[in-house]
Amino acid sequence: MKIRFKILAGFVLLITMLFIAGSMSIYEFLRISKLVNTLIEDNYKTIEASKRMMEALEREDSGILLLLMGKWKEGRQIIHSADSMFYSAFSIAQNNITEINEDRYIEKIKTSYLDFKKKWEPPIVGTNKERDINWYFIELHSNFLLVKSEVNALMALNQDSMYEEASEMKEQAHRAIMPGIVAIISSLIFLVLFIFFLNKYFVSPMERLINELKNFNIHSNSFNADITTKDELKELENEIQNLIPKLKAHK
Amino acid sequence: MRVEIVIRYIGMVLLFNALFLFISFLISIFLSETTDIPLLYSTLIALVFGLFPLIYVQRTHYITILEGITIVVFGWIITCLIGSLPYILWGGEFSVINAWFESVSGFTTTGSSIVNDIEALPKSLLFWRSSTQWMGGIGIILFAILILPESNTSKLILLNTEMSKLAKSNFKYRAKEIFRILLFVYFGLTILETTLLNLAGMNFFDAINHSFATIATGGFSTKNLSIASFNNISVEVIIMIFMVFSGIHFGLTFNTILGKKSNIFNSTIVKTYLLFLFIGLLFVSLKLYVTDTYPWWQAVRYSAFQVISLGTTTGFATTSTANWPAFTQIILIYFTIQCATAGSTSGGLKFDRVLIFFKALAKQIKLIQHPRAIISLKVSGKTIDENLENHTMVFVILYIFIIFFTTLLLSFLDVDIFTAFSSSAATIGNVGPGFGDVSSLGNYSGLPNLGKFILTINMLLGRLEIFGIISLFFIKSWK
Repeated sequence: MKIRFKILAGFVLLITMLFIAGSMSIYEFLRISKLVNTLIEDNYKTIEASKRMMEALEREDSGILLLLMGKWKEGRQIIHSADSMFYSAFSIAQNNITEINEDRYIEKIKTSYLDFKKKWEPPIVGTNKERDINWYFIELHSNFLLVKSEVNALMALNQDSMYEEASEMKEQAHRAIMPGIVAIISSLIFLVLFIFFLNKYFVSPMERLINELKNFNIHSNSFNADITTKDELKELENEIQNLIPKLKAHK
Repeated sequence: MRVEIVIRYIGMVLLFNALFLFISFLISIFLSETTDIPLLYSTLIALVFGLFPLIYVQRTHYITILEGITIVVFGWIITCLIGSLPYILWGGEFSVINAWFESVSGFTTTGSSIVNDIEALPKSLLFWRSSTQWMGGIGIILFAILILPESNTSKLILLNTEMSKLAKSNFKYRAKEIFRILLFVYFGLTILETTLLNLAGMNFFDAINHSFATIATGGFSTKNLSIASFNNISVEVIIMIFMVFSGIHFGLTFNTILGKKSNIFNSTIVKTYLLFLFIGLLFVSLKLYVTDTYPWWQAVRYSAFQVISLGTTTGFATTSTANWPAFTQIILIYFTIQCATAGSTSGGLKFDRVLIFFKALAKQIKLIQHPRAIISLKVSGKTIDENLENHTMVFVILYIFIIFFTTLLLSFLDVDIFTAFSSSAATIGNVGPGFGDVSSLGNYSGLPNLGKFILTINMLLGRLEIFGIISLFFIKSWK
């Protein structure tokens, strides 16, 4: 094999090793960034929306209690603003279905919320429901708890998925970093090996050639650099050996 | 010593690893698993380090014994390092030390594991895990040299270095023939067992992985509960038969198939070894039955499997032996120390040495009684020369010393004495499961990292039959 090929092969292999490790790391990091996106876009958005739905429900509950106490204006004001807050959060969740069966959870929230709304939409102040705490507990509170539990279930679904994705991200981060570490260590070992071969097969034979030539020049010793490789150095040794008799004859 | 020659041969071994890594990579691609990149990069590294020396270093027609030993010892160590790469790169339960442990355990056919949930591992990684055992079973250096083109003289030196004198004793063939026999028996048994397991109800993937682990006397299963998870008597019987065959000298198995005179049925070693296994399973079953641990048929079923599994250094399990009576555990520990016969895929002490050791003891007693007597030591009708006798005595003593020394080191790391002793014996014997925290259905994940590392040295010592590694420490005296 030619010297050029041997040296080139070393560099090509080294570059290939580093290039592939780098590509793998980049690929894994891209996968991580995609996962982060999923985490933020899909799960975090729904979790936030669920939290807002919960808050809206709590406010509606307070508004209902104000209505029961006969405070119509304050009560209805709180309820209406909470209702619009609930719907705005609900529409975010509804348009962000990313998990398996998530649509069913959304449907359950919708049904239970409409049932709950049916209870507080009709007039309360000035009717026999006013100051009737039993009506609140028997008719309304169970619906309130049901909607809350449905919203909670949606939140839990997204939180679990977020946890799973975060664990996967941890694994991928490991897979992104490890090729780099392995590549650095392997490249260092490879370089040591490369330098060893360069020294063994190029530097040492060259030194031997030079020493033999010096010996020949000074002491007119026979020339034998003992090159064992089948490359240009061997050719050079052969050529020098061919040249020596001619030089001797010329003298 | 010509370092470049050593590097060339180790590179060839790595090329062989690259082949199996690539097959595992193809499986991961086919099954769309997360191991694709780790396996591909590991293949690339094995390939680069395997091919590069071939560009520079030319073929040699002769290697010295020192070069041979260096190739074998470093070949094993570097193979184990490359073997740990897919685990390290994939992550999961595999920290660097865990990956090294799993890799060494695989290549040395020990079969001890740190994985808590084996079934959660991708199939391609499970295949790589089983492949390491299959490659290691016959001896990774030998396997690579068998297949790759090299000069016969070099092959012979490596054969002599990798195989002990005892292992070669039943091969009345030339080196070339020995390679052929090893390949024939190894491939033949693997194909036959895979087919039979498949017919017995195992799916093809499990069948090939379990036959890899059986023929190599490794013991890595694809299931958390090992063979117990199949709860299939036919599977157990097939595996038991093949475990016994894998624990017997391959040359004798080959001769038996060809109907030659020197076969399994005429070998004193094999007959005594099988008798020991039978006596062991008889005692264990009796104790299990008498202590009401199992009804009689279950006692026989479980004890037969566990005795054969440990007695052949395979390490599969059909039940947990952790709560078995102490008497049965001691018998199983004896089999863990005794190991299978030389010339098989098993590691550790080897039954042949145990037999020679006891015969040598008897000889010494006779010599005390009759100091002038000339007594020759015979095994299977063959006279054991004094060199081999002395070598065996030293080996047995050194082996026991290493078990006790490792036990001491592990107990220093606060590992309980039973776990420490049984894991030391199980790793140097390349058996796999021990007792205590590392019992048959347990694993080694709970041990301290330094403890795991010490046990991997044990595994390598057991696989390389101690002297190979030790002689490298005295490299100066070779000059």
